[in-house]
Amino acid sequence: MTFDAPWVLAVGAVVAIGLTWIYRLAENRIGAQALRYSNVAFLASAIHPRPWLTRILNAGWIVALCAVVVGLAGPHLRLPVPVANGNVFICIDTSGSMASTDVSPTRAAASQAAARAFVEDAPAGIKIGLITFSGNAELIAPLNANKDTTLAAIDQIPSPNGATAIGDALRLAATQFPPAGHNVVVLITDGVNNTGVDPQEMAEYFGAHHVPIYTIGIGTPNGDIIGGEESTIDEHALESYAEVSGGAYARAENAAQLRDALARLGRETTIEHRPVAAGFGFVVAGAGLLVVTMLSGLYVGRFP
Amino acid sequence: MYRGDGYEFVELRAYVPGDDVRRIDWAATARAGELQTRVVLEDVALTLAVLIDDSASMQVGRSRTLLTAAEEAATAWFGTARGGDRLLRVGSDHAGPPHVPVATAFEMRRALETARAALRRGTALLAIGDWYELDDRYDDLLANLGAWCDCTAMIARDPWYDGMPVGGIVRFAGAEGGMLRAFVGARERAAFAAAVRAREDVLAQRFARAGWRSGILHESDGVASLRAVFGVPA
Repeated sequence: MTFDAPWVLAVGAVVAIGLTWIYRLAENRIGAQALRYSNVAFLASAIHPRPWLTRILNAGWIVALCAVVVGLAGPHLRLPVPVANGNVFICIDTSGSMASTDVSPTRAAASQAAARAFVEDAPAGIKIGLITFSGNAELIAPLNANKDTTLAAIDQIPSPNGATAIGDALRLAATQFPPAGHNVVVLITDGVNNTGVDPQEMAEYFGAHHVPIYTIGIGTPNGDIIGGEESTIDEHALESYAEVSGGAYARAENAAQLRDALARLGRETTIEHRPVAAGFGFVVAGAGLLVVTMLSGLYVGRFP
Repeated sequence: MYRGDGYEFVELRAYVPGDDVRRIDWAATARAGELQTRVVLEDVALTLAVLIDDSASMQVGRSRTLLTAAEEAATAWFGTARGGDRLLRVGSDHAGPPHVPVATAFEMRRALETARAALRRGTALLAIGDWYELDDRYDDLLANLGAWCDCTAMIARDPWYDGMPVGGIVRFAGAEGGMLRAFVGARERAAFAAAVRAREDVLAQRFARAGWRSGILHESDGVASLRAVFGVPA
């Protein structure tokens, strides 16, 4: 936590000490007017005093005053906020191997469901686009902040078929990103690039432009035999794309892992921790607590 | 007990061995042909004693102090004396009837022990106090005194018996020392009312076990309180 005006804290401490002193004086006056009773030992045993009530009131005063003082000092908290001007392209592999059922119900369906959850959980204001790729790359949904549009586009993802043009998808994303902004690529694939542009070159390009690629390899270690070929993952390549561009790689062997990986990516790519001015919140919370404590004090016959 | 001055004739009856020969009515004996004894009632002079707790805890009250009501009751108690009765006050120095000093500051145990030592057998003792200190350690002393004298206890009713007149966080100062700061709400009021009533009940039972009669001293009227103890109508 940082403060705009740390000196207010020192002034607040002095004011708090002064108020405590005034409070003591007021209490002593109340003490001088104590109600006379014949036997306080009997009284105490009869009513079973609840000392925590007065302690709560005291704590309320202290916390409220501290909150107001801290608020006036202009605190800044590092809070998770949606990234400013955030753009995310989800690139989903729709090659023939995505029909493999080693991930229930299929790799393609699991990817679709995870992408849907990613979009639904993304903070408002984040622009999300969707690219699918098999033999070539196709822009299914341009970058936009309208979740309904993107979700509708996810439903239009074509059935698995064809080769795996990872590089083409990355190039298409590169052409779609605005020149400024917090741009991120999320790549979901199960295969090895076997056509089109070299994805390693695109990863280096993105790395040079500070656009991280988060790669998710989907599939079990052995995979299925699709069209007479093993649907294996080139993990080494996916790790390399991520590393070169400043992103990260995750392996998903089932639908739950895929969903978790995308959710984690969602938090990392759409949320950032920034210093946020919290003075107003502190002051409002402190003032509110002061009012509540005052009213409580009036109710129980003690103010201050 | 000791003999008083007056006699009141009740009856003549046949002499039984052990009768005071001075009570034999010789004229009636002559008429009856056998010894006749005159039965008379003796006027026996009583000792009326009062023991009042005049400590600070009795000097509280809503409209006036409990001690004021106690003094009223004591005055009425002494007012029942007839010629020849002796009046005695056990406790602190006090104008009026002769007193048996107890101590500088009133102390209930010491006062009861003094009463036991100083009072004649059969003395009618009226003891008034709030009896806060009375616990089971007093049972033997109370029973001893109850067997020795005709004892009556008046229990000063708590001024807040009908309800605590305060609410919220209140500072209480004990009449005999001590401070208490406590929140008083509905729960505390109910607990206090129950405790006050229970205390009176326990005290009444303790006095009854010791052979004392007991009643309540109301702050508002000491005389009426005394009447109520003995069931005397106003």
